[in-house]
Amino acid sequence: MSADAILEVADAVKDFDGLRAVDGASFHVERGSITALIGPNGAGKTTMFDLLSGFARLNTGTIRFAGRSIGGMAPHRIARLGLVRTFQLTRVLAGMSVMDNMLLAAPSQPGEHLPSLILGPRRARAAEARSRADAQALLETFGLRDKARDYAGALSGGQRKLLEIARALMTQPSLVLLDEPMAGVNPTLGRAILDHIAALREQRGTTFLFVEHDMDVVMSRADRVIVMAQGRVISAGTPAQVRADPAVVEAYLGSASPETTA
Amino acid sequence: MSIDFWINVGVLAGIYGIFTLGLQLNAGFTGLLNFGQAGFMAIGAYTVGILVVDRGWSLWLALPAGIVLAVLAGLFVGIASLRLRSDHFAIATIAFAEIVRYTLQNAAFSGGNQGVLGFDAEWRAVSDWMLPWLATIGLGAYTQLPLFIVVWLAFVALLLMMKGLQATPWGRVLRGIREDEDATAALGKDVFAYKLQSLALAAALAAVAGFFVALNVTYLYPTVFDPTFTFFGYALLVLGGFASYGGVALGSVLFWTLLEGTRLIETSLSAGQQASLRFIIVGVFLLLISRLRPQGLLGNVNEMRVRP
Amino acid sequence: MTDTTQTERTEARASVLSSALAALPRPALLLAVLIVLLCALVIAFGPVRALQATVNGFVAGSYTGLGAIGLTLVLGVLKLVNFAHGDLLVTGAYFTILFAWLGLPLPLAMLTAMLATAALALATEKIIWQPLRLAKAGSLQLFLSAIGLGLVLRFTVQFFAGSQVRTLGANVVTSIAIGPLRLGTLQALALVVGISAMVIVGLVLRFTSIGKEMRAFADNRALAEVSGIDTQHIINVTWIASGFLAALSGILYATAIGSFNPNFGITLLLSLFAATVLGGIGNPYGALVGGLVIGLSQEWSTLLFNARWKPAVGFALLILMLMFMPQGIFGRAKRRS
Ligand SMILES: Nc1ncnc2c1ncn2[C@@H]1O[C@H](COP(=O)(O)OP(=O)(O)OP(=O)(O)O)[C@@H](O)[C@H]1O
Ligand SMILES: [Mg+2]
Repeated sequence: MSADAILEVADAVKDFDGLRAVDGASFHVERGSITALIGPNGAGKTTMFDLLSGFARLNTGTIRFAGRSIGGMAPHRIARLGLVRTFQLTRVLAGMSVMDNMLLAAPSQPGEHLPSLILGPRRARAAEARSRADAQALLETFGLRDKARDYAGALSGGQRKLLEIARALMTQPSLVLLDEPMAGVNPTLGRAILDHIAALREQRGTTFLFVEHDMDVVMSRADRVIVMAQGRVISAGTPAQVRADPAVVEAYLGSASPETTA
Repeated sequence: MSIDFWINVGVLAGIYGIFTLGLQLNAGFTGLLNFGQAGFMAIGAYTVGILVVDRGWSLWLALPAGIVLAVLAGLFVGIASLRLRSDHFAIATIAFAEIVRYTLQNAAFSGGNQGVLGFDAEWRAVSDWMLPWLATIGLGAYTQLPLFIVVWLAFVALLLMMKGLQATPWGRVLRGIREDEDATAALGKDVFAYKLQSLALAAALAAVAGFFVALNVTYLYPTVFDPTFTFFGYALLVLGGFASYGGVALGSVLFWTLLEGTRLIETSLSAGQQASLRFIIVGVFLLLISRLRPQGLLGNVNEMRVRP
Repeated sequence: MTDTTQTERTEARASVLSSALAALPRPALLLAVLIVLLCALVIAFGPVRALQATVNGFVAGSYTGLGAIGLTLVLGVLKLVNFAHGDLLVTGAYFTILFAWLGLPLPLAMLTAMLATAALALATEKIIWQPLRLAKAGSLQLFLSAIGLGLVLRFTVQFFAGSQVRTLGANVVTSIAIGPLRLGTLQALALVVGISAMVIVGLVLRFTSIGKEMRAFADNRALAEVSGIDTQHIINVTWIASGFLAALSGILYATAIGSFNPNFGITLLLSLFAATVLGGIGNPYGALVGGLVIGLSQEWSTLLFNARWKPAVGFALLILMLMFMPQGIFGRAKRRS
């Protein structure tokens, strides 16, 4: 396996009620890469994300993130290690303002813990001011600046998607899992998201793993592609390698060819 | 006579205001449907009563002991049941309150249905000290006025404290959990620990309310802490406003004024029937407000969860 | 901060225990546990006392089980935790008193009371629950409405009938002897009626089309809706069944216990919840079995502790079930939606 893998998954298995959603999947994600995870509907991509982020428990197998085993770890601990995710069905905190959604994601805010809040209110306020500036900048990039005071529940579907991604980035992650970040977003905006992801990778070295059905996007934007089908990883490599792999073509037969699946 | 009556209504409004601050913290700001608040209140009150009467503690030391015990009970209930689905959690908290009431009714240490009596001498000393002062401004005739003043000072102080806490990053995490606990966990927040803190703090508030109930009725017996009183708390919560601490004060004053006010209406009904009627009114009110204005008077409809 | 390491250890212990339990076929496990317990009690307390408690347990089990069916169906079909359900039991018992007072012979008064309670339950659907569903009410709204309805029912009964202890008016103090066991005539009657009713309800659920649809609906609403079941019809029938059986359960309770006041429903409610959770939410057979288990445990507990702790056994079972086996004896882990 690559020496510089930020994430390594080996023989991951996950059963639901007799249905094997992930069936011995193994793959790795290189540090600083933008990697796409593709596969037909029901291939187990979202379940894989649930496993990686601690929302589902492995039956067997191992997951290593930045050299640590994180299989079975609680979601909030994994997130604090720098692995954050977004959800396929967006989950903004509807009854809070857009700004509060962002501030909630700020890492290591001492004001979130009662003892440090009571003993050091000034430190909490300072951290808050810094987070606010960061949040403002991110909202600016994602075109949500004017919405900062609105309830997140008042945003459109596409804007919610943007907010969720911005919020994930607010945690200053080293690996971001994006589950269909472009679904429901208009193409112009979608391209802006991708540009932003590419820029972040350059500036901060953040690693991205994203699920996407639009093959044009996958082929043009990803450094590496991992293909899942029926719970297994059937192919992995550069976009060109994956496109040429007969196993991939076969996996998509019956639904559609990888070129045309949207 | 009538002024004494309204002072007493004010005492009730203050006590149940404190009680409901905890429910607001849980239901309004954390999304936790705690239906066991009366159980925590009973634990606080009985701890005070028993420590003073049986162990000879000072009333003022027994109060913090009561709070600590209620907090421990909150942690215990939380650790046992906070991982349950929300409807199971609600049922488990009711079961807890029933167990508390049942134990108090049947165990030897709590005096059973005879209850606990004679713990309030130190409070009466304070009250008697206050009355001459009140007499200088012409209010010396109202014996419950000292309690009214102390209860409302405590209520306002606690209300401001809770409002302040809610405005901090800590309060923001609670609201995140109310909106979507998975999404909040995905941002690195230890959801369970926050829910536990929310529940423990609510239990502490219930214990303070229980302390004042004890001073008010001067005599502790299990039916004072019937789990139904938690429902009264929710009734005034939704009247005043969901996710609003100011709403708790408004709701409590309105609720008790309306409810106790019905006592002043002359009817030919028996005392028992009047008591029944008051509960029917609360029931009808809960049905109507849930339907017509679920966020209450001061509540914000945007913060009212409408997820199935 | 709270001590997270400790809470995690608790969690780990709980999950080890529950997964060990989950590995066994649970109905078999349950039966084995009950038989072992009965044997232990026979050895410890002698056959007469143990069997007497067991018979009493079946009496309590029949009204608990029948009462729990409505609760579990409403929970399964409507996702509604009906806190007013205990008060439907009370309504049934007091309707009987009312109709008997109006001159109906007691058995007819009972039947009329069950029909009246069923009608009342249907009325709550039309007046309260359907509008709330259409308004997409949140869980707090539903909880508070159920609590409000419970208060209205209980205290309307109390308003008219008073809070004093009453009987159904069948003052039979005779008893029957079966070998060394003694059973009040009324208790025996309640036992026979209760067990027969349980069998009939089981058969109706199993073989009639409405029974099957109701079970399908309570088990997986989305699937049932796709397969073209008339939703509102099922919901109506669920309420009618729930009210009818609640009244039956209340009447059996009143008959077997002899005296009661309007608070018996709220007292019994937690036992009904325990039976519901034990049987797996939405599973009416489970509720019947759960009711029997609760009834037996409570009566058996009287051999060990003072009888006044009987209700506490129900609470304790409820909490233990919620903690260690929230999907119930027959339930399987539900899919996340
Ligand atoms: N909680 C669950 N319980 C039972 N089965 C589940 C659960 N979650 C997913 N599955 C099943 O596991 C399989 C994989 O689902 P998953 O959502 O991971 O696929 P996916 O690759 O993300 O598909 P899509 O492209 O449609 O999002 C599917 O057959 C699905 O029905
Ligand atoms: Mg998916």
